[in-house]
Amino acid sequence: MLENYLPILVLVGIAFAFAVAVVILSRLVGPNKPNDIKLAPYECGMPLLSSARDRFSIKFYIVAVTFIVFDIEVAFLYPWAVVFKQLGWYGAVTMGIFLFVLIVGFVYEWKKGALEWE
Amino acid sequence: MPEWLIIGLLIVAKLGLIFMVLLTLAAYLVLAERKILGRMQLRPGPNRVGPFGLMQPLADVIKLLTKEDFIPARADKWLFILAPGLAAVTALLTFAVVPFGPPLTLFGHQVPLVVCDLNIGVLFFLGLSSLAVYGMTLGGWASNSKYSLMGAIRGLSQLISYELSMGLALVPVVMLARSFSLTDIVMAQADVPFALVNPLAFLIFLISAVAESKRIPFDLPEAENELVGGFHTEYSGMRFGLFFVGEYINLIILGSMLTVFFLGGWMGPFLPGVVWFSIKVLFVCFFFIWVRGTMPRLRYDQLMHFGWKILLPLSLLNVLLTGALLLWRQG
Amino acid sequence: MATWIFYILGAVAVVATAMAVTRRNPVHSVIYLVNSFFALAMIFYLLGAPLVAAWEVIIYAGAIMVLFLFIIMMLELSPGEEADRQGPGALQWLPVLLLGAALLTCTLLLLQLDPAAGQAVPNWYASPRDFGYVLFHEYALAVEIVSFQLLFAAVGAFYVGRAASREKQPGGQQ
Repeated sequence: MLENYLPILVLVGIAFAFAVAVVILSRLVGPNKPNDIKLAPYECGMPLLSSARDRFSIKFYIVAVTFIVFDIEVAFLYPWAVVFKQLGWYGAVTMGIFLFVLIVGFVYEWKKGALEWE
Repeated sequence: MPEWLIIGLLIVAKLGLIFMVLLTLAAYLVLAERKILGRMQLRPGPNRVGPFGLMQPLADVIKLLTKEDFIPARADKWLFILAPGLAAVTALLTFAVVPFGPPLTLFGHQVPLVVCDLNIGVLFFLGLSSLAVYGMTLGGWASNSKYSLMGAIRGLSQLISYELSMGLALVPVVMLARSFSLTDIVMAQADVPFALVNPLAFLIFLISAVAESKRIPFDLPEAENELVGGFHTEYSGMRFGLFFVGEYINLIILGSMLTVFFLGGWMGPFLPGVVWFSIKVLFVCFFFIWVRGTMPRLRYDQLMHFGWKILLPLSLLNVLLTGALLLWRQG
Repeated sequence: MATWIFYILGAVAVVATAMAVTRRNPVHSVIYLVNSFFALAMIFYLLGAPLVAAWEVIIYAGAIMVLFLFIIMMLELSPGEEADRQGPGALQWLPVLLLGAALLTCTLLLLQLDPAAGQAVPNWYASPRDFGYVLFHEYALAVEIVSFQLLFAAVGAFYVGRAASREKQPGGQQ
């Protein structure tokens, strides 16, 4: 088990070291002459028209919530799938009801237009 | 030499080698993409640096290193620095569970050709791919630019939408292999690759993988002719380089995952396992480049419709059908 | 030893959560909260439940925090404004670095005495397979109840979103 997980930790270390090293290296090698115009957010060469923060469609929020619901469903599917053979019909019916209830919710959202993007 | 030292050295040597190979491969994948796209558009592609432009990746690295690396005013410094690192690290880490060949025997030790054969490998992959959105989102938010924020929000929505069908497409694979370990999944495909057993799951995973890689036709987070560069508009120098490297390593990872889950991993006649694995991964990468050279970009509503109204119901149906079929055959 | 690791991980979770509550910048709070979820995931792993640890990362860090990020992005906050009020850059990094280092050290220690390393499979180690079998065999009813909860959540969230968009529309048309 130790040899099993140790490599992942070493890989985390290597990956982080790489990310930090290249940024520091480029700091050392590259020029560093900031000025106000250069540091302004990019807007196709024009002076800023408005703040970068803007309103977003509520649709993004609905997508995120629906995603959580289905992500939990997928999370439940995995331990079921791995013992699918042992569970047999009993497990299949359990999962069938589980999925059915969620599909009802999905169809409801669909019919109500939650998935529409204009 | 004591036992633990040999084991430790083997681990470090293996990891160092994998790391170097991944980085080199990512660098040359960029060149290959530019060359192939060039040929598809009837132009030669980069050919000035070295024979056939083979030194181009090196020139790119030098250029990125010597570019000025600045942080825009009013940006969230802390997150601005953190984001590209996160993007590169999450991409690199996923490779830890990919088995790229059958176990080797070196100095009397069995060396499995995988960094770490976790018994929850599939979940590890899914967990990291769900964390992969952080680099992009935080970078886009921290930049304090309209284009970056727009790209980040679009990208977040897109990635989570296609993550669902990607996760659902793997359920039949787990059902068939009856294990979460990627090595076991490859072993289960000794006779027939899962792409032939369950072609629908393969197709769903393939499409979701293209969407997860944020490439054409799903490249709305960085659509260059409306959002300049999307979430990395404000990034320059090596920080941009880290995003870029992360993206191409992610491409290799997705190719490896397709190979492991559906194309039989290292299995194949005559040639050694590692060679088969590389051929399959490179072929999938070529396919991704080919798609980029062929397809137009989707509109955002089309993208969401496709993900939620076609791919998601299809993958749910596929799980149910696979389950019913397996049970029926079992009797 | 395991007890010590448990306490360190618990401390990391508590400190990270405290940091999440006290940050002025909501996105920084999210980062600390994710840190705390990782500590929790490792506690689950320490208790012999790798599947629950994976769920903690996939669902909490990967899905629920993403929703939080979405909502924060909709708040129309400018990132620079908050950063000015905090201390110098290096100090901002300190807590998250310390917490991260503590997490990594714990993982290393945890691996030194991995529950599964000594004995073949201790009786309290729930492999994903056993977990799945028990969950869908003996607690099937609980699973169905979860599905109904998820259904209510989906419908409820949809209604919250709908009501907000309907209120906004007349204002937008003026």
